[in-house]
Amino acid sequence: MYGFEAMTFNIHGGYLEAIVRGHRSGLLTAADYNNLCQCETLDDIKMHLSATEYGPYLQNEPSPLHTTTIVEKCTLKLVDEYKHMLCQATEPMSTFLEYITYGHMIDNVVLIVTGTLHERDVQELLEKCHPLGMFDSIATLAVAQNMRELYRLVLVDTPLAPYFSECITSEDLDDMNIEIMRNTLYKAYLEDFYRFCQKLGGATAEIMSDLLAFEADRRAVNITINSIGTELTRDDRRKLYSSFGLLYPYGHEELAVCEDIDQVRGVMEKYPPYQPIFSKLSYGESQMLDKAFYEEEVKRLCLSFEQQFHYAVFFAYMRLKEQEIRNLMWISECVAQNQKSRVHDSVVFIF
Amino acid sequence: MEEEIEAQISDLSITKKKTEAEEEDQTLIFLDSVDDYLILIQTLSSTLRQGWLELASARHSMGASRVNTALLSLNHRSAATKLDLHYPHNIDGSITKSPQFNLCKWTSTDDNNSSMEKENIEEDEQLKENINSLESENQESSLESSKGSETVASPHKTENNFQKERAKVLKMFGTLVSPKLRASQLSFETALETLVKVANVRSSILEAHDALVKDTKNLKE
Repeated sequence: MYGFEAMTFNIHGGYLEAIVRGHRSGLLTAADYNNLCQCETLDDIKMHLSATEYGPYLQNEPSPLHTTTIVEKCTLKLVDEYKHMLCQATEPMSTFLEYITYGHMIDNVVLIVTGTLHERDVQELLEKCHPLGMFDSIATLAVAQNMRELYRLVLVDTPLAPYFSECITSEDLDDMNIEIMRNTLYKAYLEDFYRFCQKLGGATAEIMSDLLAFEADRRAVNITINSIGTELTRDDRRKLYSSFGLLYPYGHEELAVCEDIDQVRGVMEKYPPYQPIFSKLSYGESQMLDKAFYEEEVKRLCLSFEQQFHYAVFFAYMRLKEQEIRNLMWISECVAQNQKSRVHDSVVFIF
Repeated sequence: MEEEIEAQISDLSITKKKTEAEEEDQTLIFLDSVDDYLILIQTLSSTLRQGWLELASARHSMGASRVNTALLSLNHRSAATKLDLHYPHNIDGSITKSPQFNLCKWTSTDDNNSSMEKENIEEDEQLKENINSLESENQESSLESSKGSETVASPHKTENNFQKERAKVLKMFGTLVSPKLRASQLSFETALETLVKVANVRSSILEAHDALVKDTKNLKE
């Protein structure tokens, strides 16, 4: 019953909630970002990060550093924290934690399949995969010629198997099919995660519904903007939108027929939670939309820590950490390219 | 006799003045070329910086797994853009020593249905000027307006084909890519055009320098 989690949550989840709240206090602050933004070289960034929790991961990296190295090592920290939490978790928290990584699994599958289509070496592709999305038979993806084989040979034994029912065809894999497969899989994953959270009930269901609905709406907007001017038809575009969220179903109907960014703005401004996001943008501009969405997401993720005894804090922490890694990537790129004046274009402060 | 000597002296002074004027002209041409070259180098540098930052921004937006070197296609295909080199003819029919570079954008022959017209950057700029002047005269007569619409349709169709070719190349990163990645592609395309202009201006600098050295030598003689 909602409201009585305080009586039983700590039995199985108390230790891990304390762990994740401890990790949250280790996230970089605005003062840390200000110091990082003033660095002249990547070695300066490494020096500043050595005083943070990333220190042990970067200290042995030789100079000259590369931006991908910084991102790789910071991601390793996230993976270690996640694995520690996963191995300590019991059901249903362990399933919840596994759900958080399915998005990365989908990205890895698409990366391997696309790279194989482009005749790239499998080992090279495996090195580029996100560590949170790895599974045992991932290298076997390279032998599949179409989605049916992809499913039958590899994915039937993975958590992504249930998401394939909507996109199994015998057509050979090409760029358009792969893109549709990616978005169809992600749609199915989000809907399945949403249903799982609803089943958990309580504060988890309430907070995760809001966070996942925002994710679904953001994906709908990005799919719309990215498909403008492409050969993706309106019907195909509509099929990629999730079946939940604030924009479902009327907003999706309007987004499906949008032909430019201003029409997208016109649709989104009808929804009060998204009006402040689009009011920050000038007409015809979409460059700052990503940052506006990230800022809104960070605000919602931080709010989830205001309540106790629910699983959403784990999801929120993982997402906040990924945002922090994105910030570090952007700062590193601006420093490496000697474009420090543009560093605040994409950095989203968490605290 | 004295008259002949005076005539010869005046001829020599006229010739000297002509040669000095030619040298000044050549010097001006040389300095103008150097100025163009420096401006183009600066433009190229800023365009490339813009392109690299937009690429980083696309990577930030789409994720490292969608924008990385492992997705570049190693399939065999012909180049989408080619560079032609030719030596133009002088007025007297002789071939100049200075080469001219022409960029042929999006002329991939992998797909026969999408073969493009050869594009010369200078002709393209001239065409755009013609379009602008024609558009301003459209209001004067219906005949001129019909001519204008015929001329506008041709570059519009070419630009549409270019958009299709650009989208085809970007597909290696996925079909639904961020507008930032498309902006990055345009920046690098502009940088490539600027590089060709730089090469042509360098060619004209060398030509002007050679002419200047020749005139200086003639003047001393």
